Amino acid sequence: MVRYLIRRLMMLPLVVLGVTFLLFFLTQRLSPEMRASLYVKDPRQMGSLEEVIRQYGLRDNVFKQYGRWLAQVARGDLGYSPSANMPVAQAIKQYFPATVQLALVTMVLVVFFGVWFGVFSAVHKDRWQDTLARVISVGGFSLPIFVLGLLLLMLFYGKLGWFAPGGYSLQTDLIIHSGSFKMYTGFLLLDAVLNGNGRVFIDVLSHLVLPAVTLCIGSFALMVRVMRSSMLEELGKDYVRTARAKGLLPRQVVYKHAGKNAIIPVITLAGIQFIRLLGGTVIVETIFDYPGIGRFGVIAAQQLDIAGILGFSLMVAVLFVLGNLLSDLLYTAVDPRIRLD
Amino acid sequence: MDMKDTAVLQVCDLHVDFAGTGHSVPVVRGLSYRLKAGRVLAVVGESGSGKTVQALSLLGLLPPVARISGGRVLYQGKDLLTLPDEQLREVRGQKISMIFQNPAASLNPVLTVGEQLCETLRAHRVISRQQARKQAANLLQEVGIAEAEKRLDEYPFQFSGGMCQRVMIAMALALSPDVLIADEPTTALDVTIQAQILRLIKNLQQASHMAVVFITHNLALASQIADEVLVLYGGLCMEQAPAAALFAHPVHPYTQGLLASLVSVRSKVERLPAIAGQPPVAGEVPSGCPFAPRCPHATEKCRAELPVLQNRAGRLVRCWREEQK
Repeated sequence: MVRYLIRRLMMLPLVVLGVTFLLFFLTQRLSPEMRASLYVKDPRQMGSLEEVIRQYGLRDNVFKQYGRWLAQVARGDLGYSPSANMPVAQAIKQYFPATVQLALVTMVLVVFFGVWFGVFSAVHKDRWQDTLARVISVGGFSLPIFVLGLLLLMLFYGKLGWFAPGGYSLQTDLIIHSGSFKMYTGFLLLDAVLNGNGRVFIDVLSHLVLPAVTLCIGSFALMVRVMRSSMLEELGKDYVRTARAKGLLPRQVVYKHAGKNAIIPVITLAGIQFIRLLGGTVIVETIFDYPGIGRFGVIAAQQLDIAGILGFSLMVAVLFVLGNLLSDLLYTAVDPRIRLD
Repeated sequence: MDMKDTAVLQVCDLHVDFAGTGHSVPVVRGLSYRLKAGRVLAVVGESGSGKTVQALSLLGLLPPVARISGGRVLYQGKDLLTLPDEQLREVRGQKISMIFQNPAASLNPVLTVGEQLCETLRAHRVISRQQARKQAANLLQEVGIAEAEKRLDEYPFQFSGGMCQRVMIAMALALSPDVLIADEPTTALDVTIQAQILRLIKNLQQASHMAVVFITHNLALASQIADEVLVLYGGLCMEQAPAAALFAHPVHPYTQGLLASLVSVRSKVERLPAIAGQPPVAGEVPSGCPFAPRCPHATEKCRAELPVLQNRAGRLVRCWREEQK
């Protein structure tokens, strides 16, 4: 087990190096002048452009520059992001918890409803309940996220005014920066609980509803389909017949026996979806102006903020490897036949 | 009529169909038998003869494609086929239990053996987890599994096929049922293991005075365990007789053919005799005797008209030749 972990973690630097080098190489397509101009705030300073280029070695060989970036990263310095107007590391620290929060709420919804609907659909195979569940899931699957997101925003914010975009309201902003509100974790929902502040909790949660629902519907559809087919396969197996022959309740046969086997492929899917959500739910965060890491990534890309782009992709690469590892570890918890070594 | 002759389970005119495209296909056609307490009835037949289907229909375990189109299955005066689900669950695993052909696949791969044993006990008895676990360990010991306590925490993949079948047997016998339905319990196992499992079933059956429906395609196995044999062909009972009588003197040409194709250590034959032709494919059931196309004695009458099952001195035979005698 330990050896397996070590071997898997050795993949981490390989993936990270591959991804960041590729991106670094691409950013070199921009001329040194373009890259340097990002750090010039005032047009009157344009004369010092050459000085900036020389200072940062922007004309050096790409490997040399990449090596410099790596050395800098190794010291824990991801550079300064002009688009976020703060160091990249600080931007990640500030925006990432909001995305994690959104991803977690979304995944809980997706897994809970996806598994439940999938089982429901499989148990009622070819009856109207199944057809309904399939229509809903295909419908959700075919509805583009940007269309659904905008529709929800128009209805629930524009017309009804129930859920506002953004991460939290102005009042909450005042409270959390007032000094009496302690940021223990950076996760606002959790911090609100730790501070015992119900108003902040409800406010943050209500800002999560629309983006979470939007994200949920696309992933949910896939989850239902995987769970349904996996469940149907398991329900046809011999051990299910044994379970019924023993006189167990239908609930036990379906959930305990078939369900525990059918959930295995769902875990992989949930793992992949969760990582995708963590890596920035770019469209949704942009539509709902949600202060997450995805929005940070998009703005960095739009403004050619190279340090921001590299920092963002470095984070996504690390998440990708760790997330996959985590879902493999989850397997062993569910399926005793899988041993990691 | 003494205790031994009372039937614990009675199957009356059971009909099972499979839903085909547009029409349904009969798989079991009017099967009847009485299972006496403490006796072993072997149901013998080739693949597709309906032997497994009839067994599954007793406990309502048929796949969705199958439909019971007629008949009754009487247990303690109640018809299992019309029993409400809740009452049927009481019977399943407690009064009538079942073991299957493929023991390794019949156990849930992601639950420990102990859990699967305990849940059977707890489905029908109000006992604590510790009590269930203790009983489960005793049961494993009873079916000949060493270090039972330790093996409770293992998973089915850590058991061999023979051991899995022992676990299945322990599970089936956990609540001392009146009837055990054993559907080809040794088919997937090595020959040496087959003999062990057969002996185990026989011993446990005699110890608990339980009735057994032993389903097999193997006449030799049937001869080792059965008190009575029922020969099934094309969903029809061809011959039913006490085991000794049937093996000593088979009446139906199909039974004769089956017995003739058995290998004996004593006999020295160049080539094993076999029954010519193929068993009928369900759905192409001939109007006459289903065995007629393969029967050496078949006449026009056999091909045209289905023989009736008739009682001939304590045995049931379905053949027109018997009529003439």
